[in-house]
Amino acid sequence: MKIMKSLLLVAALGLIGSATLQAQLKLNGAGATFPYVIYSKWFDVYHTKTTIEFNYQSIGSGGGIKQVIEGTVDFGATDGPMTSEQMKDAETKQGTEVLHIPTVMGAVVVTYNVPEIGAGLKLTPAVLASIFLGEITKWNDSKIVALNSGKSLPDQPIVVAHRSDGSGTSFIFTDYLTKVSKDWETKVGKGTSVNWPVGLGGKGNEGVTGLVKQAPGAIGYVELAYAVKNNLPYAWMKNKSGAFVEPTLESVTSAAAGAAKNFPEDLRVSITDADGKNSYPISGFTWLLVYKRMKDKGKGAAMVKFLKWAMTDGQSYAKDLLYAPLPKEVVKRCEAKIKDMKY
Amino acid sequence: MSETSFVPSWQYYRRKFVGATMLALCYLSAVIAIVPLVLIFFYTIDRGVSYLNLDFFIQMPKPVGETGGGMANAIVGTLVLVATGSAIGLPIGILTGIYLAEFGNNKFAYFVRFMTDVLSGVPSIVAGVVAYGLVVVPMKHFSALAGGVAMAILMIPTVTRTTEEMIRLVPHSYREAALALGIPQWKTTMQIVVRTAFRGIITGILLSIARIAGETAPLLFTALGNRFWSTSLNQPIGSLTVFIYDYAKAPFEDWNNQAWTAALVLIILMSGLSLAVRAVTRSKYVQR
Repeated sequence: MKIMKSLLLVAALGLIGSATLQAQLKLNGAGATFPYVIYSKWFDVYHTKTTIEFNYQSIGSGGGIKQVIEGTVDFGATDGPMTSEQMKDAETKQGTEVLHIPTVMGAVVVTYNVPEIGAGLKLTPAVLASIFLGEITKWNDSKIVALNSGKSLPDQPIVVAHRSDGSGTSFIFTDYLTKVSKDWETKVGKGTSVNWPVGLGGKGNEGVTGLVKQAPGAIGYVELAYAVKNNLPYAWMKNKSGAFVEPTLESVTSAAAGAAKNFPEDLRVSITDADGKNSYPISGFTWLLVYKRMKDKGKGAAMVKFLKWAMTDGQSYAKDLLYAPLPKEVVKRCEAKIKDMKY
Repeated sequence: MSETSFVPSWQYYRRKFVGATMLALCYLSAVIAIVPLVLIFFYTIDRGVSYLNLDFFIQMPKPVGETGGGMANAIVGTLVLVATGSAIGLPIGILTGIYLAEFGNNKFAYFVRFMTDVLSGVPSIVAGVVAYGLVVVPMKHFSALAGGVAMAILMIPTVTRTTEEMIRLVPHSYREAALALGIPQWKTTMQIVVRTAFRGIITGILLSIARIAGETAPLLFTALGNRFWSTSLNQPIGSLTVFIYDYAKAPFEDWNNQAWTAALVLIILMSGLSLAVRAVTRSKYVQR
């Protein structure tokens, strides 16, 4: 009983304490896991700067979209853009349009566990698609050998690892394969979770990372940060202009710049297989989902102010946390979009 | 075969052998059963203890790239959530238990008992989804209150069933004696029966608290989580379990280490509660 009493006391004290601090402006958001690290950094820095609290929780892209439609959050976040039906659904339920504001970019890298190869395995889109379709099953397949002269490729079966949960990472990866391979488009297609023809499933980036680390001969796809932090090697991909490009923050930013010309008005854009000599082809944006018109005046003003900050000062935090900052052309488009917001 | 002297046959040795083997298997299984617990405990201590310091209890979480910081908000958040869940779940659970034990000889009580058993088998994530639908969607925002409701749903079956069992253990002669002295039924129930079963009921309460304090799934879509200091029931709130969930899968070593420390703190809180349960049950037998 004593424990109960002390618990209740703590709660009661807490309630009194919070009542006095209630005046502070608080915005709640939820969504994608991929940008959680930079968002928590941004919101912390912004909190010390302005005392406004942006509480962001990573519940997954799908969850973020759902919460924005239901109106249980002040903002959402996603790695794969909302579909047109979802946008319509949100508009009828919330009485205002949902805007996609790109914040940073990331790369999905193809990582592998074959010590003999070392870093920098070279792959073409066709070979990558064949591996994930289960058509190429050995590391010393002639198609892989042809691309990697000088590297020793062992006579070892390929173990494919993919995500088992719905994820923005899978969306970017399958979106890319759909663009570059007719076979993939007809047999599997794109989506946050697809019907994988072969391979083992792991939950989350950390799950796939674990699978690749443990299984000799494994190949999988993870976000760049997970490969770098776990010292996993990653493949150089052949891009649209025929060059093999290493996934780096620069080559991702270059991909966005390459795609910037053809941006649709609503900024829901895929930058996989982008133009540009230095563009890494499996790149993607992550978006904040905000309401065009916020019901609460104070919150609306805070949101607009924060977004402007994120587009300028906020971008400087990206590189240290292994996210690619937005290229100037994209920032301009975003700033124009933010001006549309009303409160 | 002679009848007077016992000549061991091969069956005898076989029986001996089977007996010894089975006994060894039992011992082995017993050891295997406690190995995970010991491993979890020592591994968590090993990984978590290096970040365990005063700061962890009084500081706020720091963003990635800055070392140090703590989880004061998450520790308080877990306590607020448990308190809210208890405030909702315990009265309902205890009163239902009293009803079932004292007045539960009818079809409705049978139905309630059956439903409570079903409820105790409901996965915790489902409780979270129910609280999401009941509280979050109508209120239009995530809140500690919604987390408390989810936890209350998980508490109710445990508390109800232990309360009922404990009250059933009270001998009938106590009730008859009280009623014979002219004490009204409600007084008999409250002051004789419940008081006699009190220690047992407390055990049930502590068990149910231990059950919910380690839950992550029902909080993800209700209390959501919060990196800032918040104790308001009306706002999202942080908790140790959700912090562990987020930090453990991040690609940053500093956060992974803090997740271990948070796990250690949670285990210490839970073990403390378990020990409290043991202390309460033991003193019960000493007194009798």
